[in-house]
Amino acid sequence: MSNEEKRPAGGKGSPFLGGLLRRDDSPTHDPNAPESLQWRIAVSSEKRAHPLRPAKKKPQKDKRHSTNRVAFFRYSHYDPCFKYFVEQVLNAEYLPLPPATRRTEEVGTQNSTDYVCTPFKHILGDFVDALELGANVVVQFGGPCRLGYYGELQESILREMGYDNFRMLNFSYGMDGNTALGWTRECLKQVNPDINVPKAALKLIPLARMVGMMDSAYDFYLANAGFEVEKGAFDRAWATYMDDMSAVTDEASIQEAHARGMERMRSIPLNKPENPIRIGIVGEVFTAVDARSNLGLDKKLLAMGVELHRMINLTNRFVRYNEPNLRQSAKDYISYDMGPTSTMTIVAAKKYAEEGFDGLVHAKSAGCTPEIDCEPVLMRIAEDYSIPILYLTYDAQTSDTGLDTRLEAFYDMLAMKKQRGAWR
Amino acid sequence: MKEAYLGIDIGSISTKGVVIDEDRNIVARSYLWTEGNPVEASKRVARQLKEQLDELATEEDGEKLTIVGAGTTGSARRLVGAMLGASVIKNEITAHAVGTTHLHPDVRTILEIGGQDSKIICVADGIAVDYAMNTLCAAGTGSFLSSQAHRLGVEVEEFGDIALTSKKPANIAARCTVFAESDLVHKIQVGYAREDIIAGLCHAVASNYLNNVGKGKKILAPVVFQGGVSKNAGVVDAFEKQLGMPVAVDPDGHLMGAYGAALLAADAGPERAAESGPFASGEFDFEAVQDFDFKTREIECQKCANHCEVICVYRDRDIIDSWGNRCEKGAVKTTA
Repeated sequence: MSNEEKRPAGGKGSPFLGGLLRRDDSPTHDPNAPESLQWRIAVSSEKRAHPLRPAKKKPQKDKRHSTNRVAFFRYSHYDPCFKYFVEQVLNAEYLPLPPATRRTEEVGTQNSTDYVCTPFKHILGDFVDALELGANVVVQFGGPCRLGYYGELQESILREMGYDNFRMLNFSYGMDGNTALGWTRECLKQVNPDINVPKAALKLIPLARMVGMMDSAYDFYLANAGFEVEKGAFDRAWATYMDDMSAVTDEASIQEAHARGMERMRSIPLNKPENPIRIGIVGEVFTAVDARSNLGLDKKLLAMGVELHRMINLTNRFVRYNEPNLRQSAKDYISYDMGPTSTMTIVAAKKYAEEGFDGLVHAKSAGCTPEIDCEPVLMRIAEDYSIPILYLTYDAQTSDTGLDTRLEAFYDMLAMKKQRGAWR
Repeated sequence: MKEAYLGIDIGSISTKGVVIDEDRNIVARSYLWTEGNPVEASKRVARQLKEQLDELATEEDGEKLTIVGAGTTGSARRLVGAMLGASVIKNEITAHAVGTTHLHPDVRTILEIGGQDSKIICVADGIAVDYAMNTLCAAGTGSFLSSQAHRLGVEVEEFGDIALTSKKPANIAARCTVFAESDLVHKIQVGYAREDIIAGLCHAVASNYLNNVGKGKKILAPVVFQGGVSKNAGVVDAFEKQLGMPVAVDPDGHLMGAYGAALLAADAGPERAAESGPFASGEFDFEAVQDFDFKTREIECQKCANHCEVICVYRDRDIIDSWGNRCEKGAVKTTA
């Protein structure tokens, strides 16, 4: 009996029924039943359990789960951590963003004031992308500089643009008084009122470990990817690592994914010279870290075959940050905390200079006042240790070609210096 | 037959070319305006260099020089490098440092002001140890001076001599090109003498340079000043006054980028014979460069949402180079 003959009644009129009826070999199905009854038969035969198969246990529905789709902005390699935070801690749906496009930047720039620092523009563009993809909650960090006001401003800009059906989880709120309590209240209010708070709080511990592991993995990448024998091996390993990390659900799977990823990266054959050119990247927490904001600074430098070090990342700046102790190591240069990332910038620069690095790259966004304040200190370090520093200022309009020229010249200079040193 | 190397520096405003012999002396030089057409300008430079080389060859005991390698630098280095089949395509900072330190081994600071950018290079023991380049603003570069010359109705080449006649240079705010211009217009309208305004502009260029590009850099003697603006005696004078030290200007100072590119090409050695292009026979063929038709086309890649602008360079109908592409999806195969 062919398929065509089997669906005399329902098949023609409605494609939906046709689809259902096509896979019928259930004994109860009567093809000669009247059309009006066909759908009932289809549905009931779907429901009926197979006599030989054991009845499936219905999965318990997580009553605390929220269907809110939460999106973060794009930030370096932290997407898996954001995902873990949303799915495990907030118990909501995570909406991952595809890579940023030129439109992201254009929309962000068009709707920001010109003098706001560049991360604001990038993040605003990200939020527009997220809302268009169906997010109904976007997340913004609080911050110790102007960043602290950005969430509120971005929220009102987005609403004025007409994206009205969303909420913002803004960590700038809830910071007066007990921060932990305040933030919990914000999460409950904006994302998911049913979070099991003690359970969620426990899940923050593996999250902090996960951030630390990802940062250490990326440090390994920065130090070694410039010397891979086969071009692209490190990028492939890193992409796999990111995929693995995006799939983790608990501490054990984090450990396992990390160990696997590190194993993969360690097994890549390297052609590393005894005394490679070492460059330290210092600067502001968004621009110095995020590849999209600094026009792929890491990759451009790695392609020239150098070893990169970068102290600033989420782990060092937030998870283990102890500003007074950190400042102590550069007390000849600074006596006060000058701003959100200033201490780290200066301490890192001094550390790299002491360790005999060949050069430093200072990356900041245009108009980042705390990092502008760092520059005179960096100039003093450069003079005291005679280490060249390349100062890069990024705006949304910064030209890629201009950056290439400067980086190439910087590399040439370091390479020639090194070569000359070796002759002596 | 003696080996020689060609270096071309294609800047935003002017295009420079030199030919150096085995002993690394400049034997032919050319300097002309780019006029917004780097390909045509390089062809003209090649023509001028060829004429000078032919002249040299016909002189007494003149030997025929054969160009076996080429280097390019400047903002159009990539395009012209592809066109010439250059073995070295280097950024202008490195090229300038290499060229200048070869001519002046004892130099400590190189000041450079070109058509659209300005840079400072600090040198120790004959190698560059630090540099800075203007980042967000082009105030006080050559194109600013030439547009102001146009406004004042004088040729930019006469600028320096006029400036030197001034007894009391006007004080012009040069923090930003737009503000400098409105300040300048104001001073013209209230009747300042022209030479005072011009001298004021030269001072403004120097102080703007020292405050922006030279900020935080130790300027040590001997200082060499180069780039197109170094031909302006008024700016040289302003630098000497503000720095309180002599500022040397090499007669070939405007050619240093091209010279550096040629030196780097000489370091790289003779070019391996390419399948096609000007180096097809192993020696540089000036005629071939003139005959080929070079075109640049911008293509918006549609392979993903980013829509990279991919720039393709065609020689006749072959794609010889492409850039601007960010992922493997949009990779362009060169057909030559």
